[in-house]
Amino acid sequence: MKELEPQTVDSEIVLNEDGAISTLRPAALAPTDIERRRAVLYSIVLPLALLLVTLLGGIRFSSGSIVYVKPALIYLIFGVGLMILFFVANLIRFDGWISERFDLTKNFINAITLLALFAASVQIFNSVIPESGIPFWIVSFCFLWTLWNNLFSNFDTKRLLRSLAAMFSLAFVVKYVILANLARPADQGWLDALINNPGQAAATWLLDILQFSAATGYLQFFTIAIFVIALWFFPNSTED
Amino acid sequence: MKTKHIQILGILLSTIFALFIAFLYATEPRSLEELTRKAGTAVGDALTKGQVITGTYEVDPAKFSQGLMLFRAGDFPGARSSFEAADPEKRDAATQFYIAYSFYRQGWGRFSNDDELFRKGIESATRAKELNAGLVSPDQDLKLKTPAALLNELEEGVRITADDFNPMRALEERK
Repeated sequence: MKELEPQTVDSEIVLNEDGAISTLRPAALAPTDIERRRAVLYSIVLPLALLLVTLLGGIRFSSGSIVYVKPALIYLIFGVGLMILFFVANLIRFDGWISERFDLTKNFINAITLLALFAASVQIFNSVIPESGIPFWIVSFCFLWTLWNNLFSNFDTKRLLRSLAAMFSLAFVVKYVILANLARPADQGWLDALINNPGQAAATWLLDILQFSAATGYLQFFTIAIFVIALWFFPNSTED
Repeated sequence: MKTKHIQILGILLSTIFALFIAFLYATEPRSLEELTRKAGTAVGDALTKGQVITGTYEVDPAKFSQGLMLFRAGDFPGARSSFEAADPEKRDAATQFYIAYSFYRQGWGRFSNDDELFRKGIESATRAKELNAGLVSPDQDLKLKTPAALLNELEEGVRITADDFNPMRALEERK
């Protein structure tokens, strides 16, 4: 009977203990391959995906030009709250990311990934919270309330992810579907809006809603999707 | 590819991407054309700063000559623009001296001087003096040959003295 070497890979026909023909799992990979793929995910895909969220979270389109919205101070506080939540819910185990057991390069790339996660968290709040006026304060208060409550709740990782996905999607709907429809179109003048859509003109003025092109909503939808997917693949530890 | 190599690649790519994001949010280009232009300017600035650090910084001779030609033709704003392009880091005493002189000549008036231009001239002349206090211009067209003399003339110009009310002042010539 041919013995399997530890490095043998893929679907190879072998005989089992009873002498019957058996195949290995088609997806079985050598430990080195698994390690390499894991390294690509942890060291390249995750930090770049989170940095992409950081880039896109503040981008808006208005009248054919790109607008860069820098995060408000409160988003940094929300970002810190979210990071604490990640640690409390065991989505991230700090000593599984930064440790004296790891070599310098691993610690360095892990620190970059954690920083990218923080920056992406800040920018996600920047993306889904309205930029100004009463909506900014209302949505910010809702986020503060939710984050504060969550900090004292017993969360497991999956529940936390589900809760975050729900929270960000709701905020997205509020900002890019409800408020965007309440605001007068970006390319419509004040006089035209007052004559044709007095309700929208009044809501825009009262709520101080900034108008952006429809492309902003599409971009931010994918930004939130990338963030949630990145969190889904985020391991609580990078230990082998 | 070893795991360590992947990690190093990740560090490099993440750093480059993070710098790119910081650049975008700092310069806020509104379109792709503006992005290209601003990136070009940023690279140019970085190269000039690198030249300053390595001690290889030099004034662009073509732009300096163009500035000198415009200065002699009396186009002082145009001359300043060329001089500033020739010495973006403001590190060449001669160029700063000419910039200060252009402020002097543009701001000089037979009855009254333009104080705003003279004050800008004082800034440039002070800079030229700090860079090279011993500078003596070989230019025959200039009557004030040193940054100190120019600075004195500019400071006198912005100061209100009894001499300003002397009617004989109208007979003075621009230096």
